[in-house]
Amino acid sequence: MQLSPLANPLATVAQLETSGSQLDGIPADLEDSIRFASARLTQAAGALLRLPQEVIAQAIIVLSRFWVGPEGGSLAEHDADQVSASSLYLATKLSAFPKSARSVVNVYAYLDSLPTTFFEPELLRQHKKAEEYYVSEGTLEKRRMALFNMEQQILRVLGFQLQTSLPYILSITYLQALDVFSHPRASELAKRTVAYLNTALLSPQLLYLTHQPPCLATAAIYLAAKEIGVKLPDVEWWEVFDTDREDLGFVVVGLLSVETFAAEEQKKWLGRRVPLTVGGLEAELGMRRNLSEE
Amino acid sequence: MAGASRWADDEADKAEDARRKKEKEEKKRQKLAKQQAEQEATARAQQESSDRPAKRRKLSASPEVENAKPAERKLLRFEAGGWGPCRHVNNFETLNQIEEGSYGWVSRARESSTGEIVALKKVKMDYKEDGFPITALREISMLQKARHAHIVDLREVVMGDSFDEVVLVMEFLEHDLKTLQDNMADPFGESEVKLLLRQLTSAVSFLHTNHILHRDLKTSNILLNNRGVLKIADFGMARFIPPPHAPLTQLVVTLWYRAPELLLGATEYDTSVDIWSLGCIFGELLHGNPILPGANEVEQLSTIFRVCGLPSEKSWPGFWRLPNAKSLKVPRDRETRISPLREALGLHSRTTNTGAGLLEELLALNPESRPDADQVLRHAYFKESPKPIAPEMFPTFPSKAGLEKRRKRSPHAPRRGDAPALAGKDIDFSNIFAGREDEQKGAGFRLRVG
Ligand SMILES: Nc1ncnc2c1ncn2[C@@H]1O[C@H](COP(=O)(O)OP(=O)(O)O)[C@@H](O)[C@H]1O
Ligand SMILES: [Mg+2]
Repeated sequence: MQLSPLANPLATVAQLETSGSQLDGIPADLEDSIRFASARLTQAAGALLRLPQEVIAQAIIVLSRFWVGPEGGSLAEHDADQVSASSLYLATKLSAFPKSARSVVNVYAYLDSLPTTFFEPELLRQHKKAEEYYVSEGTLEKRRMALFNMEQQILRVLGFQLQTSLPYILSITYLQALDVFSHPRASELAKRTVAYLNTALLSPQLLYLTHQPPCLATAAIYLAAKEIGVKLPDVEWWEVFDTDREDLGFVVVGLLSVETFAAEEQKKWLGRRVPLTVGGLEAELGMRRNLSEE
Repeated sequence: MAGASRWADDEADKAEDARRKKEKEEKKRQKLAKQQAEQEATARAQQESSDRPAKRRKLSASPEVENAKPAERKLLRFEAGGWGPCRHVNNFETLNQIEEGSYGWVSRARESSTGEIVALKKVKMDYKEDGFPITALREISMLQKARHAHIVDLREVVMGDSFDEVVLVMEFLEHDLKTLQDNMADPFGESEVKLLLRQLTSAVSFLHTNHILHRDLKTSNILLNNRGVLKIADFGMARFIPPPHAPLTQLVVTLWYRAPELLLGATEYDTSVDIWSLGCIFGELLHGNPILPGANEVEQLSTIFRVCGLPSEKSWPGFWRLPNAKSLKVPRDRETRISPLREALGLHSRTTNTGAGLLEELLALNPESRPDADQVLRHAYFKESPKPIAPEMFPTFPSKAGLEKRRKRSPHAPRRGDAPALAGKDIDFSNIFAGREDEQKGAGFRLRVG
């Protein structure tokens, strides 16, 4: 079948079964926590850099690709915050909004200065000038090199497959096709749909690596409509958007579980930081060992 | 000559600009919607046609079959492959160098395990200031997006021992049009030109509907295999059409193929710059040599004006608002051309009136007057005799790329750091037709000096 520019490359079954981190003995729950935290970190850094959501989404998809599969990157080897920074840097390079390495380094340094992983979103709104957050010239140079270094690692592990096709515009097209824009709560519906698409980026099930944009868009619309109380056609309308009931169900359940997962994560790491470096990870593993020996 | 616009007052200009921009954005939006619908339809059609031989689908249960199950609905599946780590470049044995280019080196190679011949293009790790070179990153991502019968196929990207060795693996084509033409005794015949132009235009159309500007179309970036199939290569300058108002760099397109608005410093431009290059290539295929070979920016512009005529308020109203137009002294408000384009280029015997008409449309000074790629494909030129030759009938030539190393004489694509040379200079085009006094008189034509 011909390759379509509307599609995303998807992870293979083998890639979803094992990861480099698991092969290095990193417990799966910790891997999930770190992946989730680094997706959120990327989202926050993107917001501070005032990047459009499409660019941020591409960065999160890129870093998700990096961490899957036996040949993927391992958390025992690479700093998750560095992978986040370099993914975002790569995504900006391909966009119409290039950012200097310095801006990226500064923003990540600022986020690194925050005391907890699950900080109040207010903190981001307060800090308008994170792009100019101070780091010494020496540190800057070191971090720039680290940024470039990881950039190349990502390119290698992904075989330069940075291509992403996103469901945002598609979902609006679908809403138009469903003729819901005359509904009084249409704009709310559109907003919730987009919010669900953003949620999908954080999913521990890696929905963007397992399902194509039409399916993600359909599931987001399905949930948003339910939530807001907009009635959609009684027929199996999702089939018009090339999505079958089974896939729709899978993604809907996946999306709904993100909220629960996020709440649990927040509780689990209350007042602490999810380890986003190899060093931090080792410390965390050491602590876990001590706890289990007691 | 001083002053921005002796022509119109700024307010009117602004209003006009705003109107035109709005119109353009609306057009872009409509195009996007249309294109999405089309892509889905095409994919659907492909899916259906690929299903057909295997099983005939019933759209509804046929009445004569008992217990007919409701027809199974077949849903579309889009695919885009997967990913895996880069392989090592030593999976390939280099056979010979093809070309030393502006930022990469290209060689012919054999994949050891399969024996397949490929082209390897090494990424030159210049300016490491920003990490992995953005031009190479763009080239790779554009090639990944632009899968088309007439665009060179990027197979994979491989690496050497160090991360600094990055190599694009592409399908190998025997020729590029520049080298081929340099080594041909006579230019292509018209039915051959037509086949090439149609293939080229179909690829340009595909790029433009997918919002990609190539920005360096020229004969050395166009490949041809021995089965008469043409493919566009070298996406080192390509990029997505940016959101409205994002200024673009003027440093694009190799001089001889560069549209006049770029020479005049336009920072907002669109697909019509590729269409201009298409015109230059069309003319070159007919002629056998580049048709607008200027030695520098100023000469380029005067070569263009000499061949395509001088811009007038009527033919190109936006001209005087372009940054570098202010420094030009051009006789105005006159249809100013010495001889028709076909004669100016010495193409009398090489094409029909229709062909000359198409060339003239492509080389319209005013970017807004140039046709888009789809309009070109529908042009009468392709329907009139001689018809485009069938690819399998296309003559074959010995392949330089397959045999030996060579060097080229055409100018390179602009590099970072080159400055647009027109800016800030006063250039007088009053005498653009000097030395052609006889022709001028003969044509009963007088230049008004501005
Ligand atoms: N896939 C290919 N098959 C055969 N020759 C090629 C191929 N790609 C490039 N070439 C040759 O190499 C030359 C330079 O390649 P190009 O991609 O244009 O690089 P540059 O950016 O250096 O101009 C082309 O003009 C052509 O002669
Ligand atoms: Mg080239």
